[in-house]
Amino acid sequence: MSDYRPRPRAFRLDDSGVAYDDRPTAQAPRAEVRSETAPIPDHAPEPLDEGEREIEAAQASGMARRWRPTLATLIWTGLGGLVSLGIGLWVDDLIVALWAKAQGFGWLALVFAALLVAGVLGLGFREFFALMRQRRIAQLHADLAQAHARDDRDLARAAVARLMALYSARPEAARALAEVSRARGEIIDGRDLVEIAERALVKPLDARARAEVAAAAKRVSLVTALSPRAVLDVVFVAAQVIRLTRRIAEIYGGRPGLLGFIKLARSISAHLVITGGMAVGDSVLQGLVGHGIAAKLSSRMGEGVLNGLLTARVGVSAMAVCRPAPFHAVKAPGVNDVAPFLFGGGKA
Amino acid sequence: MKNPMGTMPFLENLASEAGLVARSLGDYLRGGALRLGVTGLSRSGKTVFVTSLVNNLLTQARLPVLAVAAEGRLVRAQLDPQPDDAVPRFPYEEHLAALSGPDRHWPQSTRRISQLRLRIEYARAAGWNPGPARLDLDIVDYPGEWLLDLTLLDKSYGRWSSETILASRAPARAPLAGAWLAHLDGLAPQGKFDEDVARAAATLFTEYLRAARGDAYALSTLPPGRFLMPGDLEGSPALTFAPLPVEENVEPAPGSLAAMMQRRYESYKTHVVKPFFRDHFSRLDRQIVLVDALGALNSGPAALRDLENALTDVMRAFRAGRASTLGSIFRPRVDRILFAATKADHLHHASHDRLEAVLRTLAGKALARAKGVGAEIDVIALAAVRATREATIRHGGDELPAIIGAPEQGERIGDQVFDGVAEAAVFPGELPDDPERLFEGDALALPEADNDLRFVRFRPPIWRKGEAPPHIRLDRALQFLIGDRLA
Repeated sequence: MSDYRPRPRAFRLDDSGVAYDDRPTAQAPRAEVRSETAPIPDHAPEPLDEGEREIEAAQASGMARRWRPTLATLIWTGLGGLVSLGIGLWVDDLIVALWAKAQGFGWLALVFAALLVAGVLGLGFREFFALMRQRRIAQLHADLAQAHARDDRDLARAAVARLMALYSARPEAARALAEVSRARGEIIDGRDLVEIAERALVKPLDARARAEVAAAAKRVSLVTALSPRAVLDVVFVAAQVIRLTRRIAEIYGGRPGLLGFIKLARSISAHLVITGGMAVGDSVLQGLVGHGIAAKLSSRMGEGVLNGLLTARVGVSAMAVCRPAPFHAVKAPGVNDVAPFLFGGGKA
Repeated sequence: MKNPMGTMPFLENLASEAGLVARSLGDYLRGGALRLGVTGLSRSGKTVFVTSLVNNLLTQARLPVLAVAAEGRLVRAQLDPQPDDAVPRFPYEEHLAALSGPDRHWPQSTRRISQLRLRIEYARAAGWNPGPARLDLDIVDYPGEWLLDLTLLDKSYGRWSSETILASRAPARAPLAGAWLAHLDGLAPQGKFDEDVARAAATLFTEYLRAARGDAYALSTLPPGRFLMPGDLEGSPALTFAPLPVEENVEPAPGSLAAMMQRRYESYKTHVVKPFFRDHFSRLDRQIVLVDALGALNSGPAALRDLENALTDVMRAFRAGRASTLGSIFRPRVDRILFAATKADHLHHASHDRLEAVLRTLAGKALARAKGVGAEIDVIALAAVRATREATIRHGGDELPAIIGAPEQGERIGDQVFDGVAEAAVFPGELPDDPERLFEGDALALPEADNDLRFVRFRPPIWRKGEAPPHIRLDRALQFLIGDRLA
């Protein structure tokens, strides 16, 4: 009788043979009715979790930001145009003047001018494609998060295909790519597919990115502790942070140029600002405690730890923002995950 | 079909196209208007849906899933005079009075198209200019049967006749169509036209359609839709025709019964079907299709399959115009379609997922067709007015998820007959895990003892004056349908 299906039935509540909630009944009741007051759950798609929303907000304020003309844009466009015209005029004058002196120099100047134009154009194209690539990664991140939240198989397949395309040129990912493309062909729910892809393709990159963050944090804390001048370590920290974010972006498949880096930096700082409060709650507070102990030993050392912490914090935000897949299968790392040595724990 | 005059339809199309462009330009200039179509086959709960939707917005009820309300950006909603003066107004106040009056009862069903404008004032959070904004929501309520008429547009009279007669001889429908088929056998299509004969045929045919739509059978696929809901066209020649056993592609003799029937069939298409699609349907932006799956479940697998066909035909209307000859008549611009299984309150919420699965299966063909529609589609189970509350019954060793409400007078389950006053805890049966199992078999109008499911009708609930009626997932439906325009 595995196929037993109970028959429809009904009981009047004013029937004395029916026990209804706490109403007293005379004899042993035929049936018992107990009312439920729990609200009816809504089957709306599961909302994105908070960390994910923060990352998306940060991406939207930098990498995936839509271009909108502002007053500043007008000023810069005007100024830039005038300066370029000025340079053009100067080059023109120069070439004409050289031509007047000797034809050979004129030709040479012309060749240099052509090189300049070609270089500028090439740079422009590269910047443009880098920006597009960054935006694509942010979009991919959002789509994978949606596919995971809604358990949408079609969306997951399409987004995972884009993730595969992003890493198709990497020889070390060949095996993972094959694995994911096999999973894509099987009957797997959208949520699981997103996690499989994340685990296979993105997790190895996480390890590399974490190593970079750890190395940078170590360097920064060491140099700060040893450097003779405060100005020097400010410069060093800034250079390290820039280098670190670029490395992380490259590891995850972005190629930030100059503009791309500015946008990326915006996203990272937005993420730092948004998650700042949470960080006080967990890792930085611990860091400050650690800092206190280190500071007791030596003030330079305390500063070193603090600068290392800040670097690691930026690195963690950069990982979150540059990562083409949201953190589902892998837990989002915190500062103490990437740089445990700063907290006096075991060596990383 | 050959068309002897090639230029006339072209000019006609040009004129209607120009009208459409002018109208959409007008809509655009007024700004912030959205036309929401509410449809569904009869008794699917259109009127209740519109009434509850309007009431919930007017009274600023708690709508947690509707973002604009949840974020506190909904300033107020009020009823405004609608822009289309020639369309009847949706009698919201009457329907609300029916629902909440002393002898609370479900309002009169939709018999014709009607419209209501709701002005929603809200604060815009996204976009270029955040701040106070307003959306004029035009709710257009029309019978879903009218959408089925679309299939008639590319059918000749002969083809429609043979298909309809064939369908009525099918085992499911034959007993209902008996009287009309008998009358049909005595007719001579090529004989001289006689108005009495035509009227008798049309009456019997309409009765057959109506019987098939009846409670016990709950069949759905029955064009022409206007026969069941004639509105102000009742008795006009355009509605006084019936199928005849004629040869396809053979012109009937002039003056014959068949010739007259054919003429009327054509004028039904010209004067009834086309204007609806041109003037109303093509201007909708969003659409909700309400489906009463429970009625069909009460009846049996054949009714379910019938409903499936009807939904597929309904979907055809949204597809048409993108890749067909019908494109010259109208071009739908609906970009979001919601299929909603209504009366979800007749089931314990634990079964709502299964009800949605049933609807997904029912609308399966329709959803597959929708791939090319370019519209976003979703499926939910909702109750615009929640007439029941939930409970568990312990009886004879079973622990059953049940609902409590006041079943309508005359409703029955087993030997229990209800008087419309007493409340009862009802276990309506269990929907199977796999919805396909509901489609097995040919049974129709199943007697109660043979059906594992029995959904009774409940009276409307009692709720406090000045507040909105309780509902299930109305807010989610709203979020899908208009939420993006209130961002």
